[in-house]
Amino acid sequence: MSMRRGVGLAAFDNRQRAAQHYSDLGTSILSTHISELSEQLRTFQAALTKFAESHSNEIRSDPVFRSEFVKMCAAIGVDPLASSAANKKSGSFWAELLGNDVNDFFFELAVRIIELCRRTRDENGGLMLVDDVRAYINSLSPNRPPVSHEDIVRAVNSLAPLGHGFEIVKLASKEFIRSVPQEMSKDQAVAIEATQAMGYISIPILRDNLGWETARSITVLDDLVAAGLVWVDDQAKPKEYWTPSWIKQV
Amino acid sequence: MSTEGQPFPFPSIYSFPPFFTRQPNSQTWTSQLSLWSSLILGYCRYNRIWRIDLNTAIEWDLFSNKEINRSLKLDTCREILDSMVKKGNAEWVSGSGRDAADKNLSAIIFWRRPEEWANMIADWIDSTGQRNAILTFYEISDGDLSFSQDFRGIDATILRKALDILVRRGQAQIMRSADGEVAGVKFFGVQ
Repeated sequence: MSMRRGVGLAAFDNRQRAAQHYSDLGTSILSTHISELSEQLRTFQAALTKFAESHSNEIRSDPVFRSEFVKMCAAIGVDPLASSAANKKSGSFWAELLGNDVNDFFFELAVRIIELCRRTRDENGGLMLVDDVRAYINSLSPNRPPVSHEDIVRAVNSLAPLGHGFEIVKLASKEFIRSVPQEMSKDQAVAIEATQAMGYISIPILRDNLGWETARSITVLDDLVAAGLVWVDDQAKPKEYWTPSWIKQV
Repeated sequence: MSTEGQPFPFPSIYSFPPFFTRQPNSQTWTSQLSLWSSLILGYCRYNRIWRIDLNTAIEWDLFSNKEINRSLKLDTCREILDSMVKKGNAEWVSGSGRDAADKNLSAIIFWRRPEEWANMIADWIDSTGQRNAILTFYEISDGDLSFSQDFRGIDATILRKALDILVRRGQAQIMRSADGEVAGVKFFGVQ
């Protein structure tokens, strides 16, 4: 019944030796894995590079293709726009693969978006539908390959490191570019969302659909007017408050 | 013009109901002013309208969109024209001497600046070999040679402004008859 318990001094040696063996084995398995993985990564990078090189024209000129490529990169955790200047001497992934063309493409697009948003800020209070921005930019240069919705979103997001100012906000399942870094209250956002149904809101509409009392609606509507986010139509009875994003759709 | 006979193609803002209400927010109003100003200039240019008299023009489709049943108030109209005057795109015409309330109801619209008209007339004089000729104002605005010109039918006040510019440049001289009435204009070559 006696159990071998290995209580002698040699037991310490045995245990240490076993631990050492395990650890050695672990290290060797790990290093095999690492070398296999880095081999795979090299292969993959080579393939991606080759792909990007051989399709650089499509990436530059075809918005659908570009968007798919960017999505693919995102899915495997490569951010094509992220500058890797911190750990590599050269520029970003795009810049390495394609020269600066594609990288420049997004930054140049961002500049055009900024210009447009600034120019129309008085008209729309700094809130513009992404699709309107896209349509406008494409209409300006019909000879260039068209930019897509995703391109615009990506270009705006690439401005994030510059601090507050430009961001994509989602209201009523539509994406807007917000170019005035001013907080919108929950009520204001909800009211703007409500304009997307018919183009306008009014005190009765807010009461019937959101259950807001008149005082609350007046406050929100006045704030929206003050922020330049809605236009007032005095000739409607009762007064209507229109979103400028509706201008092209009426 | 190939567009002749077709109605002016209004921009999409014209169908936006609040466009016909003076916006209380000053920034929005600034933007509204410039949208109205370019609409008015485009409309006048398209229809070759030289003057806007708000007594009657307030009824035009320019200021009143029947489809959405919205129209601009007279005061707002006047404010818009006033901002165009300040920017040099229009000029108030003093009323026909009645009373002060009549003021600022009638304006000349410069859908081209007087300088542009001056250049155009000078080019036309050159290209039609009328240097050193003496022309009446009527011959410039309605003569046979100006038939296809953009200044065809030009408003007399605007024409006079353009000619005054040419006089200042030494390219023309206003000729007067013995009783001091303006009789015509003599053109010199470009110096």
